[in-house]
Amino acid sequence: MRVKDRNLEITGQHRHSRGLFLSLCSVILVSVLLAFARPEAVSAHGVGYRRSAKKAIALEFYYSTGETMAYLDARVYSPQDEKNAFQSGRTDEFGRCSFIPTAEGEWRVVVRDEEGHRAEAKIPITSDFLNGGDGNALPAAAESSLPQGADLFIRSLLGVSLIFNIAVFVRLRKCI
Amino acid sequence: MHISEGFLSPSALAAGWAIAGAGVAWGLKKMDSDRIVRVSMASSVFFLASLINVKLGPSSTHLSLIGPIGLILGWTSFPAIFTALLLQAVLFQFGGLLVLGANTASMATPAVLAYLVFGAATRSRNLRLASVASFAAGFLAVMTSALLVGLWLALSDPDMMLTAKTIFAVHVPLAVVEGVTTLFMTMFLRRAFPDMLKGVDRL
Repeated sequence: MRVKDRNLEITGQHRHSRGLFLSLCSVILVSVLLAFARPEAVSAHGVGYRRSAKKAIALEFYYSTGETMAYLDARVYSPQDEKNAFQSGRTDEFGRCSFIPTAEGEWRVVVRDEEGHRAEAKIPITSDFLNGGDGNALPAAAESSLPQGADLFIRSLLGVSLIFNIAVFVRLRKCI
Repeated sequence: MHISEGFLSPSALAAGWAIAGAGVAWGLKKMDSDRIVRVSMASSVFFLASLINVKLGPSSTHLSLIGPIGLILGWTSFPAIFTALLLQAVLFQFGGLLVLGANTASMATPAVLAYLVFGAATRSRNLRLASVASFAAGFLAVMTSALLVGLWLALSDPDMMLTAKTIFAVHVPLAVVEGVTTLFMTMFLRRAFPDMLKGVDRL
């Protein structure tokens, strides 16, 4: 009777260790499978491209001397986030930079060189533009640059005239 | 040469305004008001010079005429350049209003230095000395201005130290052009209007 009990006890211990061994094996197997499965999953991500049907805003940046602001740091800021750039990169050889707006409001594009020049374009985007409406009808305020032609002449004349007027003012004040 | 808005830190902007303010006040105080037409003329020339593009190899830049303005106006360069820069900012969108102080400081300081260092030599009877001094005044005024622009940028952002060196190198061709321009101007004024090279300070 005692021998029989002992045999039963040994059989129970044997079963217990066998179960432990099996569960350990399964854990290792799952781990190995997971380890191998991960890179497979990554490499399974394909890449591709398609032509975007969205309307883009393309801008040209240039110096007052007529030179293009080529290969310079260009950042686009959305109306929702004024601090973190929505897009950042560089202008191309011709000083161009483009982006696709995703929301209504005033978008800002800032191009700066390393000599202290900074050009900032403010582009008001309407829902009409986002919905693919008349995108060419950008407000004139979006274009701000050195005045040209007759406007430049008038401004130059105005400037010189103002300088002499200021001089007269200073002269009069000194006399008083 | 103009620093645009958005580059300089508030402390650099404040320092620029402090230098410009002191310079303008001192320049106005020293100015002989009977010669104010000369100041206006020089200020107008400076105002318009920025529209004259100079082709220098692949790039182009505009004249600054800091040296000639300095030699003609002396301390009054400060108010003259300040006014011209203010109008350039408003009418041509060059530089900006906040950064006007720093821009005035970096362009008027070299003008005054050119007058103080080379003014007497440009009036010298020794033609060779006068020629060398005139060229040096024009050349060094541009280089000092470039140095100050670089300094403002480096003060605002230490990462721009390398940029400051680039600015200095980029301005060498313009400095040569301005040196030659100053030389021609001085030679003409010495013969035609020698009084013009004595500054407009009150005697």
